Order: sequence, then structure tokens, then C-alpha cells
Amino acid sequence: MKRGLFAKVALPVASFAILLALWQAVVVMFHVQSYVAPRPLAAIQAVTDNWSLLAPLVLQIVKETIYGFVGGAVVGVFFGVIMAKIPVVQKLLYPTLILSQAVPVIAIAFPLAAILGFGTVKPIIAIVVWIVFFPVTVSVIDGLAHVDNDLLNLARVYGASRWRTFWQIEVPATVSPLFSGLKIGATYAITGAFIGELASPETVGPAQSSIYIYIQHANSNFNQAAVFGITLLMAIIGVTWFLIVSGLESFSTPWLRRSTVRRWRRASPSSPARED
Amino acid sequence: MTSPALLEISGVAKSFADTVVLAPTDLRIDEGSFVSIVGPSGCGKSTLFNIIAGLLAPDAGEVTLEGRDIVGATGHVGYMLQKDLLVPWRSVEDNITMAARLTRRVTEADRSEARQIARRYGLGEFLDHYPKALSGGMRQRVAFMRTLVTHQKLLLLDEPFGALDAQTRLDMQRWLLDVWRESGRTVLFITHDVDESIFLSDRILVMSPRPGRVVADLANTLARPRDLDVLTDPQFVALKSEIMHLLHGGER
Repeated sequence: MKRGLFAKVALPVASFAILLALWQAVVVMFHVQSYVAPRPLAAIQAVTDNWSLLAPLVLQIVKETIYGFVGGAVVGVFFGVIMAKIPVVQKLLYPTLILSQAVPVIAIAFPLAAILGFGTVKPIIAIVVWIVFFPVTVSVIDGLAHVDNDLLNLARVYGASRWRTFWQIEVPATVSPLFSGLKIGATYAITGAFIGELASPETVGPAQSSIYIYIQHANSNFNQAAVFGITLLMAIIGVTWFLIVSGLESFSTPWLRRSTVRRWRRASPSSPARED
Repeated sequence: MTSPALLEISGVAKSFADTVVLAPTDLRIDEGSFVSIVGPSGCGKSTLFNIIAGLLAPDAGEVTLEGRDIVGATGHVGYMLQKDLLVPWRSVEDNITMAARLTRRVTEADRSEARQIARRYGLGEFLDHYPKALSGGMRQRVAFMRTLVTHQKLLLLDEPFGALDAQTRLDMQRWLLDVWRESGRTVLFITHDVDESIFLSDRILVMSPRPGRVVADLANTLARPRDLDVLTDPQFVALKSEIMHLLHGGER
């Protein structure tokens, strides 16, 4: 257990610290000017010093990311299921969905903003949905297509209805593939929100500003410390979101990690509790 | 004719495209018997099983179970394959009650029956375990228990021990004989293994490859209960030699 915790937490944190140390070393050793690239400590300080100003903007982009991610997950699962279950729909929609991803998001972002309301939060969320749903759809289609055919036949031999077979066999069998798609979506979601803020600067919202506006402002003032600091912050938000989704995956698939059913999941007491 | 058979197959045939997989076949299986089908790959034995199970519709012929027509109808037999097909996300207990879960609400009676049967056959300690924590032999035992609690009179077992090592397989065969004797079910058992078919069955059907058909229907009168001594009994050896010649006649 201790070893596991060490590998899970200490090593990733160490790799992040090494990255920051290398960055610091390069900037100091090569006398990089602060308007080109700041020292990491200066970048961090640029964020902490202005935290009261930044906090609502961070909260805003986190909300956009989460709403968009959840929306993208729902849309992705919906398309994935109907496309996997209805071959005609799959043939009809798949080319269009691929096309939607082949278009550069940043190009589609501006017309989306115009359509959904420039300056509002709607186009931002729509862009996150746009980015997140696709890997989810693909993973759900693949997951449902690869359910063991013998297992489906066994269900048929038992006289199972399609509905029960779907819920009891096909859905649980697709949980792991689904999370592969969700994790890809999770890493892209924050980027989507940032592009969304670029295309639709949120002037209508309560903050009357956005992370994008802030970073652009800092950039035009040669305040590289703030630019790098916020970039770092966004990376941390992205990683955190990925970790949360991964944690959700572990929670949803206990059979991959444990050898016994959790006590509280048991339908009834049957044998003495065992922990692995 | 004597009492009506549990399973009656008459004139059942099946082709895929231009290949005749199963030539017209007649078969009567008496209730409570243990009948093995041996034959090389591609002799249509699994096709025959799929027809009996209702997964495949035959091109011709009739299949009746206790006098009822079951052509193309599922939900009438127990069915088990070489792959255990346990679902990894369910405990042993929940895997045993899988058939119930797939057709209706699982009751406390289902659960207690699952626990009882698991305890009786040595898996009581593992009721809360996920299948991945079990050995291959244990997994096959769970799969068989799942088949038993469907309460179907006819169990179709398609090479259930084919993937196990020789030692485990022998243990499983002896275990299966015990369970069969206690449960009073009718078993139709597919195997490649001639020893296995003789050790287990009352009757052995030998099939030939394409077009698949039954070339011999042999009675096995070795006394029950059987144990390891049977494997060297002269009657066992004679029967084995007869089956081997039927299977490999041309290669002698």
C-alpha cells in the first residue's frame, strides 16, 4: 500500500518539480530575459500576487470546462449508443462526426460564437462539448462492438430480453472503453474552454472578463511572468480534471483492482468479510 | 418405443452457404442420462448444440423437448462452453444468479440457492470474490453452477473442460459426475477427448466430419459410480479402441 502511494503520488509530483527546476536552471544559466521567459518562481508569484483578481476568472473557466465536459460526455454516450445499436445511423453519422473533428476547432469557434451569442458562455460550452464528445462516442461504439459474442449468445440461451442483455452485459462491458474516451476528453476540455474564451470573450458574464482576456492583456504588456503563470495554472487544472476522471474510473471498475466485492456493495451478508 | 425421450431430434440438418455442416440427424436423449458426442473439429457438433439451444434455426427437421417444439426458441436448456463466460464485474454469487438476473428480478431465494450450491461444492469462501481471483478450474465450477441453477432439465456442455490442464480436468470430471448424480439432470456433453467421453457417459455418439453425421451410437455399461480404476478397465480400453478406430479409421 505504501509503495503504491509512493508510485502514485510522489513520483508524478517529483517529475513536476524536476520540470520546474530545469526551467529555472535554463533561464538562469542562459540569462534569458524576463520578457522572453520568466523564472518559474516569478511565474508562480505572478499568479499568487494577483489571486483575488484571477480567482473569479479561474472559477469561470473551471465551470466552462466541467459543464462542457459533462455535456460532451452525455452527447458522446448518446451518439455512441445509437450509432452502435442502429447500423444505419452509424453509417449515416460517422462521416459527419469525423468531418466535425477534421475542421480546426478554432475556425469553427467564431461562427459558433456568432450563432450562439457572442460574448456569452454558450459558445464556450458548445466548443468544449464539440471537443469532448468525439473520443467518447468512438470509445462507446468500439466498446459495444467488442462485447464477447459468446456471452451475448449465452444471454440469449437463457431467454434474456435485449433490454436486460444491454443493461446487464453490454453496459458494464463498455465501462472501461468509455473511460478511455472520457480521459482523452478530460485532457482536451480545458483547451476547448480557452479557445471558447478566445472566440467569445465573456463580456456579458458576471466577471466581465476571462482568463483569455487576462492572458492577452499580460502578453501585450510583456508580462511573461503572468502569461507563463496562468499557462501553468491551466495545465494544473487540466491534470487535476484528468485525475478526477481517472479516480471516477477506478471507483466504477472495482473488479479490475480488487479480488472481492466491497462490503457496502454486497447484496447480502454471505461469508466473512475479506479485504485484499 | 419405450417412454418418451426428454429430447427428440428428427431430420435436423444445417448448411452454411454450400457447405453441409450437419446431415439430417435423428437423436433421442432419455431423461437422466449422460450422453457424450465425440468427433473431430468441423463435424457439426457445436452447430447441433446451437440448434438445440435455439441460437440457430435448422434448415429442416424437428426438435422437441418433453414433447414441445423448441425450434428457434431459447430459454429451454442450460448451456456451457469451454470459455467460462463469467462476467468480470460480478461476484461469484452474482455470476451464479446471472440467468435469473437476465430474465427477471433476482430474489432472495435465488441468492440463497446460489450460496448453498457454492458452499456445497467448495466455493463458499469465494462468494464475494470477483472471477479474476479464481483459478481456471474454479471458474468452470462457477460456470457450471450458473448452468445448474437455471433448473433446466437438459444441460448442453460444449467442451467445458477443454481449456484446463490434465490434472484439473480429471478433478472436474469426477466433480461433474458427483453433481450430475445428485442433481438428476440430463447432460449432453461435447468433447474431443475420448477418455473423457467414456469416463463420463452412458452413451457415446461418434460423429464424422463434413457433412457432420452420427456414425456410431455406443452404449457404455461401465458400472457407476465410476472412479479412477475405470480408466484401466478392459471394457474401457475396448470401448476406447472402438471409438479411436471410428474416428481415425482411415489413418490406420
